[in-house]
Amino acid sequence: MRGIVRRFQARRGVGKFLRNRLAVGALGIIVLYVLGGAWVALGDVLPGRAGVTYAEVEQPVWPAAVPGLGIPATNERRVEAMRIITREVKRAVNNGEGLSDIRYGQLRLLPRAAESEPEVERLSGLVEEAEELYDQLAEFEDLNNPTGPKTEGSAPGEAAIDVPATIAELERAVHQMFAPLSAWQSVKQSMLLSLGTDRQGRSTALRAVFSIKVALQVGIVVSIISVLVGTLLGAAAAYFGGWVDHAVVWLYSTLSSMPELILLAVLVYAFSGSVFDRVANPWLALVPVYAAMCMEFWIGPCRVIRGETMKLKELEYVQAATAIGFGRFYILLRHVIPNTVHLMFINFSLLFIAAIKFEVVLSFLGLGVKVGPSWGRMIQESTQEVINGNFWQIGAATAFMFVLVLAFNIVSDALQDAFDPKHVG
Amino acid sequence: MMKRAHLAHRVVAVVAVVMGWVAGLAAAGAEQPRGEGVAEKFARLPIRADGPKSLDPAKGSTVYDNQVICQFYETLLQNKYLVRPASITGYEDVSEPLLLAEMPKVTDSPNGRQVWRFKLRDDAVFHDDACFPGGKGRKVVSEDVFYSWRRLADPAYEYENYWLLQDTIVGLDEYKEAQAALVKAGGGGKAFDYAAPVEGFTKISDSEFEVVLTKPVVRFGWVLSMFQTSIVAREAVEKYGDTLGKHPVGTGPFVLKDEADWKPGQNLVMHRNPKYREAFYPSEATPKEKEQGLLGAAGKRLPFLDRVELVFYTPDPVMWQDFQDRKIAYTQVPAEYFEQAFVKRTQKLNKEYSDKGVQAEAVPLLDFIFRGFNMEDPLLGGYDEKRTKLRQALCLAVDLEEQNDTFYNGINTVYDGPIPPPLDGYPKGGKAPVSFRGQNLRKARQLLAEAGYPEGKGLPEIDYYTSKGGNQAEQTQFEIRQFEQIGVKLNPKMVDFSELIEAINDKKAQMFGFAWGTDYPDPENNLALFYSKNKAPGANHYNYDRPEFDAMYEQIIVMKPGAERTKIIEKMRDMVIADAPFIGSMARTRFYLAQPWLKNFKPSEDFYNWFKYLDVAEAK
Amino acid sequence: MWSYLARRLLYSIPVYLGIILIMMGALRIRDPVSAYLGKNATAETAALKKASMGLDRPFLPIAVESKDDPFGVEPLAQVGRVGLYAPMKTQYFEFLSRIVRLDFGSAEKPYRSWQFESEDVGAKLADAVWPTLKITIPTLVLTAGIAILVGLLSAAMRGSAIDRTLMVLVVLGMSISVVVFIVLGQVFGSSWLNGKLGFELFASNGYEPGIGNWVRYCALPVIIGVVVGMGYDARFYRAVMVEETGRDYITTAIAKGAPRSKVIFAHMLKNAMIPVITRVMITIPFLITGSIVMEYQFRIPGMGKLLIDAIINKDFPLIQTFTAVLAGLFILTNILTDVLYALVDPRVRLA
Repeated sequence: MRGIVRRFQARRGVGKFLRNRLAVGALGIIVLYVLGGAWVALGDVLPGRAGVTYAEVEQPVWPAAVPGLGIPATNERRVEAMRIITREVKRAVNNGEGLSDIRYGQLRLLPRAAESEPEVERLSGLVEEAEELYDQLAEFEDLNNPTGPKTEGSAPGEAAIDVPATIAELERAVHQMFAPLSAWQSVKQSMLLSLGTDRQGRSTALRAVFSIKVALQVGIVVSIISVLVGTLLGAAAAYFGGWVDHAVVWLYSTLSSMPELILLAVLVYAFSGSVFDRVANPWLALVPVYAAMCMEFWIGPCRVIRGETMKLKELEYVQAATAIGFGRFYILLRHVIPNTVHLMFINFSLLFIAAIKFEVVLSFLGLGVKVGPSWGRMIQESTQEVINGNFWQIGAATAFMFVLVLAFNIVSDALQDAFDPKHVG
Repeated sequence: MMKRAHLAHRVVAVVAVVMGWVAGLAAAGAEQPRGEGVAEKFARLPIRADGPKSLDPAKGSTVYDNQVICQFYETLLQNKYLVRPASITGYEDVSEPLLLAEMPKVTDSPNGRQVWRFKLRDDAVFHDDACFPGGKGRKVVSEDVFYSWRRLADPAYEYENYWLLQDTIVGLDEYKEAQAALVKAGGGGKAFDYAAPVEGFTKISDSEFEVVLTKPVVRFGWVLSMFQTSIVAREAVEKYGDTLGKHPVGTGPFVLKDEADWKPGQNLVMHRNPKYREAFYPSEATPKEKEQGLLGAAGKRLPFLDRVELVFYTPDPVMWQDFQDRKIAYTQVPAEYFEQAFVKRTQKLNKEYSDKGVQAEAVPLLDFIFRGFNMEDPLLGGYDEKRTKLRQALCLAVDLEEQNDTFYNGINTVYDGPIPPPLDGYPKGGKAPVSFRGQNLRKARQLLAEAGYPEGKGLPEIDYYTSKGGNQAEQTQFEIRQFEQIGVKLNPKMVDFSELIEAINDKKAQMFGFAWGTDYPDPENNLALFYSKNKAPGANHYNYDRPEFDAMYEQIIVMKPGAERTKIIEKMRDMVIADAPFIGSMARTRFYLAQPWLKNFKPSEDFYNWFKYLDVAEAK
Repeated sequence: MWSYLARRLLYSIPVYLGIILIMMGALRIRDPVSAYLGKNATAETAALKKASMGLDRPFLPIAVESKDDPFGVEPLAQVGRVGLYAPMKTQYFEFLSRIVRLDFGSAEKPYRSWQFESEDVGAKLADAVWPTLKITIPTLVLTAGIAILVGLLSAAMRGSAIDRTLMVLVVLGMSISVVVFIVLGQVFGSSWLNGKLGFELFASNGYEPGIGNWVRYCALPVIIGVVVGMGYDARFYRAVMVEETGRDYITTAIAKGAPRSKVIFAHMLKNAMIPVITRVMITIPFLITGSIVMEYQFRIPGMGKLLIDAIINKDFPLIQTFTAVLAGLFILTNILTDVLYALVDPRVRLA
């Protein structure tokens, strides 16, 4: 193993790659993504303390859909959010319990075990106040364009109702129901709301980041398996020739005769509803998707490595090794394949991009990731929002994916320039 | 060769030609402004699905089959378009004669049977079609009614709709069995004998006939207006065989001029039946309906539209957009777009839309949306205390009102029990005397502990099957969250609708999200869901089996609607709520929007043959 | 060459049979009958439906009969529960015989689809081909054409601002998922644009036959397809041309004083065409599948949408026929491509 790494580093290509500043920058971005994905994955290992779990990413951080970057929502939305919160608090107070279950992101009503008589009294008072304010606003047909006698105070003895001020007061009353946030919690809450929320109130920013893990998962699993399988089969086919070669060529001709989306659709259909739909193990849930992608993707590396191996086979040192009497497997593994490592890398990065893009399309159609967020699902959920003029979800998902794919494109270009300068395309 | 300048000129010339050609194509395909030089009245209406599977009443089963079939075919009775009662006790409250000259006369016989006497209109004729001699449609006669109903018993149509007449008409069940045996022996479908006598079918004359029921089955009155019992011409069936599904020959106000007018998955164009008999727009209405202008066409002859294009929409955003682009005359309002047109808080049209003159209608649906339990499941099902408490605990953990608020903009009706408003047996205000409707986490946790799973410990994951699509994924996540609050873990299986049905029919689904649309407005239809004889693969998806319930069910299906019957129905309802074979319930309210130029618009989902009442104002 | 052709075709037959077998087997893992039962179905109805769908017959000539679900045909010989059945009565061979006869439904012997109860599978397929071609052929032609132009331009002005801008735009098209373009295309390219123009230029969905309707229904999917697909090709062609430009004969020609445009069009293009043509030919098989996603989202009744709907609705006859036809076409076009490649490039010898 060390031999392979040493040989890799010694190649002239590495230096050339490192001199390409754009590529190194792109690589840095990829590393950032990987770190992000790893952090999210910590949620599987240390739920609650680090990372993000499926449960957390689905939690609403605000009761309604709001835009990101601190842009204020419409009046109707704000009032709606306050109404929902008030209703929940009121119900918990009446039931006598559940107060500590009420949370929105970092906002918590009460820390657990702090439920006490005076607290409940205080909350009841605030609930009443909020309901009064809400009743005042209930008269209006459309709070976004408040019109009518109430604003002008034309009815005798009635003061005009200042809608924006009343709404602000309502928000203040409701805000006081929650325990005050520490500075760090404040920061976390604003990060959660930074890209807005969707219809259920879930944080777009958190979901977009969570989807990094999903994308990386798919990309890594599919690319590694495809590259390894393709390399082994391609090298073996070229090196051993004869029936091995015929078998491998027959195999990939057959598989490429089926358009991939159709093969995938049939596979997904056959496997759906089975054990693979469990959410308990998110890694297993995507197995049909992995299987279908790998079945098509291994063909690319296989062809390339096969071609390269055919060239290497004729090289002197390989022929010398054969003459000396080294076993054929030994030569294959120790001499031939390590010289194709650069191609493996290139193919890995190309397949990675293809895998991510494919997953997005699949999830968009409802065939891919079924539980939990992924960029494809976010885009699909956003189709309705876009018609309403709400571009936060689609924007976030597209941007995150775009940067990653672009970075990979740059890196794979640079890899090709560095290691395979004679390549075309 | 060419100088650079000449090259540039050439390129510009080619590009100009191409653009001109493209522009020409665009102009050629551009839509004619509506109403220009068109004397005929045309409307484009949406169907919110891929479309009907077949236009043959004997094979139709879904709402979408109904929507299209009832434009071409007619039944003996139909629902009144205006004056819809707030609470319904019997079919007479809601139906009026369509192919009949008058309402049927019902007499009880001393031997327990019931005789229904019918008189057909004398001006009801079939569409002109090549299957008739000379291509002219003929008058409808008594034999046609018997023929159409016999088809339901023909195994060639796989008994898709026989359940409507099961155990109802004297001699029909025996007829069906006898014919099935003959067909099997004969090895082909042609052996079915439509002429063999059925005791319950008595022809008196070409326009009068009697049907004898084995007992006073309440359902029969409703069946008379259901599209599956539409009247079909024997000549058409014999000529078109199994392509009758795309070549309808009925008595209805619209015709399908050409088989090619129906492009499955795309659209269907129908034309006014020029030979349609004299049928008139209703002349009675409630004061509110008068206010809405629904009596403007009183007494005028139907149908008003000359040509109707039904467009099939599968993705909702497309239907919504087409309505905004004013391509379709009305639309249902999908939940996601509710806030675009309505103010969520008041559920009224917002200023932008009402200024444009858009009409809005809210139609409460006869829905029973629930999450069912498989009563034969070893973990969850069973009538012993422990398991019943487990199910009750699960009911209490779900907050249906929050679900209503989040996913349906609060427009649905949440209620106790399996009977939706406005049917008999619907509990007042939606609240039944004993209810396990959530959310009451304290009680839920208590019951869970009493069931032997304190804080959910020891309770394995519950398999929860739901369909995909729409916002089901979000709703499922939402439910998972709610159950986690009492410590119960759900294992969601989101599958295609067909697999969902399969899992339920195979009794594999421990818990499943499903719904039931009432076929006819009698509570018996919903209570049949708990009748043990309807266990999977029938409609009793819960496999609920209680002899006391069965006894009461068998009682009410033959009782005349009234106070006594209502009492029994309420007992049944309360029994089912206490046993908790489901978590429920919700009934949707569907909102419709219509263009300002669409007249006489009062949609309903209880019946679908109201396209004939629609009219369009002349070009703006 | 003919022996090569014959050998390839012979080679493909077991491949083809294998594909059909795998696909039919995969479909039958789950029981489709439930999907077709109405709301109030009985066991009786289920059994009748199964028989009418032909699913009560064994799949292969050697099959095991299950006790509570017997086959509707009698075996030729039987040992215990394993029976030998006449091949023509089995589902697999019956379907194969249809393929051989190319009989997918006719008036006398209909082969009906399950979703569209009165339609023959063959008729439905035939109807779906033209809409697909109306999208894929223009997309292919435009993508190839524009990619070649862009590649040429970039290569000719290598290193300049134009080159860099073009490459950036092209990479942008490649890095944004096609679904985003579809969603935004439908909102902006259609509804918003139509609002601004006052008439409907691009429909956001739907389809009507006729050349006059092409712009309305097919132009938008084609535009999106070109934007997304052009990236790879443009970069490839650019690289090819850059490589050609480096060749000695180009330098010589310029040194001799030939004008640049003549050099480009007369010499470089011709030589660069070989890898370009090969590349274009490789994409020909995709004409048939079209873009399934595009058709589905734009509701264009082409082959892709037909297949997806069939899969969702478990319409076995349609899925089987479709796959059989498609796989067959794929194999044939692959062979054709290899042959054409050999004809175009004299350096290549057919194996």
